[in-house]
Amino acid sequence: MSPFFAVLSLILLTGALMVLPLVPALAELHSKSDARPLSVIQQHTGEIRFFADGFRSYMKGLEPALHKCVGSGAHTSGTMPDGSEYLVLGRGEEALLLPFRERNEFRAVMIASGSDLLLPSETNFAKDIYSAASVIGGTENRYRAILAEKDIRLGRGSSVMRWVHAVGEFSADSACRLYGRVSSDTGIRLAAECSFLRLNAPYIAIGPNADPAQDPSQSPAVATAQERLFHEGDFEIRAGEIFLGNLVVRGRLRIGAGARVRGSVKSERELVLEGGASVEGSLISASIMQVGPDCKVRGPVIAERTMLIQKGTRCGTLQNPTTVSAPNIQVEEGVVVFGTLWARDQGQAEVSL
Amino acid sequence: MIYVLYVIVSVICIYTARHYWFTLNRLFGFQRHPYIDIDTADWPPVTVLVAAHNEEKVVANILRALMTVKYPDDKMLVIPVNDRSTDRTREIIDEFVERFPGRIRPFHRKDGKGGKAAALKDAMELVETEVILIFDADYIPGAGLVKQLTAPFFDPEVGGVMGRVVPMNCGTNLLTRLLDLERSGGYQVDQQARMNLRLVPQHGGTVAGVRLSALREIGGWNDTSLTEDTDLTYRLLLHGWKTVYQNRSECYEEVPETWPVRIKQIKRWAKGHNQAMVTYGLHLLLGKHRASLRERIDGTLLLGVYIMAPFTLVGWGLALGVFYQGVAPLHGIVAILSVTAYAAIGNLAAFFEIAAAVRLDGSRKRVCLVPFLILGFAVSIFAVSWAAVSQVKDALTGAEFHWDKTERFRKAAS
Repeated sequence: MSPFFAVLSLILLTGALMVLPLVPALAELHSKSDARPLSVIQQHTGEIRFFADGFRSYMKGLEPALHKCVGSGAHTSGTMPDGSEYLVLGRGEEALLLPFRERNEFRAVMIASGSDLLLPSETNFAKDIYSAASVIGGTENRYRAILAEKDIRLGRGSSVMRWVHAVGEFSADSACRLYGRVSSDTGIRLAAECSFLRLNAPYIAIGPNADPAQDPSQSPAVATAQERLFHEGDFEIRAGEIFLGNLVVRGRLRIGAGARVRGSVKSERELVLEGGASVEGSLISASIMQVGPDCKVRGPVIAERTMLIQKGTRCGTLQNPTTVSAPNIQVEEGVVVFGTLWARDQGQAEVSL
Repeated sequence: MIYVLYVIVSVICIYTARHYWFTLNRLFGFQRHPYIDIDTADWPPVTVLVAAHNEEKVVANILRALMTVKYPDDKMLVIPVNDRSTDRTREIIDEFVERFPGRIRPFHRKDGKGGKAAALKDAMELVETEVILIFDADYIPGAGLVKQLTAPFFDPEVGGVMGRVVPMNCGTNLLTRLLDLERSGGYQVDQQARMNLRLVPQHGGTVAGVRLSALREIGGWNDTSLTEDTDLTYRLLLHGWKTVYQNRSECYEEVPETWPVRIKQIKRWAKGHNQAMVTYGLHLLLGKHRASLRERIDGTLLLGVYIMAPFTLVGWGLALGVFYQGVAPLHGIVAILSVTAYAAIGNLAAFFEIAAAVRLDGSRKRVCLVPFLILGFAVSIFAVSWAAVSQVKDALTGAEFHWDKTERFRKAAS
């Protein structure tokens, strides 16, 4: 090979090696296969009733069949335009008699009922359930999603994988596992040993004796523009004291029994609200938080690690619902939250000691 | 000469380590989103300021979007801050005021000092609420954004809030695609990592919020600053107020579609940032205030990001000089290996960060464009260095800063 061709080959080879890593880039630049803006839609899907509202719209296609079955008391089945199998029941109690299990396989069929839907026990309902009235489930069931225009009652040990929405009250018996979103336009009541992630309703009552109506005191909203006390290190508001203003503590914060804070508080570390104390603004900890028993918090209650809410504590009011949120939340029987109770990783309703 | 080079390489290594730390934190660390779950509350009254200077192409879009957000109508007031516009901006705003009575209160500024900070400062006379949200006119907020940006203010330690910016015209050309990647890296990794690590998330001045009492405490908007957002970040920090970043509070923006516009934009950012570095750098690092040690260190490094461009150029020049003088850096094979390793791995840290961000965003093919970032990097390093040089020149000659508005590319909304 002549020196000229050798040099030319070397240059070409070097050029090819330099261009090689750019080939995928050039291909993508030309084809624009991933050139759309990032999808920013979470503000819609983040709505707790998003899936329930979508399912209700979807069910409009079954309205004629539902009316017909309610009138005749019969049941019918078919396939939706998207290929989903459905079963429409004129009488909801019929579900108790139907075989949902075929050759050890559970039937993946969507169920719609025009009246109160009674569901058998130990059954896996792998498709969504709709009831124009109430849903009363057996024990140890497993649901994908449920929408009811009245109440929903889940039997002991049941689980919900995606979402539940009840226009009436939603209640879950002991040891239910609620993995997705649970919402109600009326109220939610969980028995002890239930686990949950995200709950939203005018009231969320834990245990049979938690009474959302028992809320005589209506403290006025505190203005957010208040004097702020900033404290390095640990801080304590002593029992029975009244603290006026917003408080930021870089260490631990203890609010003594019966103390009252007319403002919002933030602690960078552990925050303890002792029995009977009240906070009229928000209660925020960058670490762990313990609230109760018998405390009242009007604004949002946020902990960045874990939160324990003890019996008799009330967060928010019927008129001013709020959010209680932490990665891990334990709530004892007797607690009432008005609004949202959201455990990112694990929420657990506990028997009060 | 060699010792100056050592210093430069050492500083660049610190920034390299910082890039890797942030990226690994985003990939494997604990992610903080403490306020994002607040979806039910007694929402406070909010004022939304929309900065608009000759924004006839875009202002209708943001006003329309703001009128449909999910926030109680009686608790949200929109104030378009029409800053001396000479196009149809005023006319468009007034049309919206008529269509939505009581929900929009326009602030038509006819004269006064130029710049966004000066306009916002004047508009404060109309603000009565504790929570103030700020958008530039080319942004399009989603339905849930106002609640998301307001939620952190329930925390009495929070003085400022920053959401995430997502380019909407990213598919236009190579530049917009590169800016899309840069934004991903900057927000998805950089800002969120600072939030996770309790460092100093930066207030961006748009898709953002500020607490009125905090703003008053720090002396209001600084209209001498070219980047009022950076200035605000540091004054809040020095007064013990936190700025928090909400990665899931996303909002579309328009990025520059031509290189001259991009160069002008980044030069302004660089000058503003350098201005903040000179003003607050020393006090932040060594002064007596409420920032923690990690905030002092990160805040100082953040202040230095734009000065690193001329620093790097000087380093390259010195390295060449040392080479031609025949000086063996650090005298040995270990040094050569170290410098080679730095060149191979260190320089890629920012690209690694962007690639990680794109992965976190769930994007697939756009990561292929990462090699082209070297082009954007080359343009930026010279533009930012030139900005620094001209800034020094301006300081010596006593010339005043000039605020350049970023050109818009969207077609005017009907």
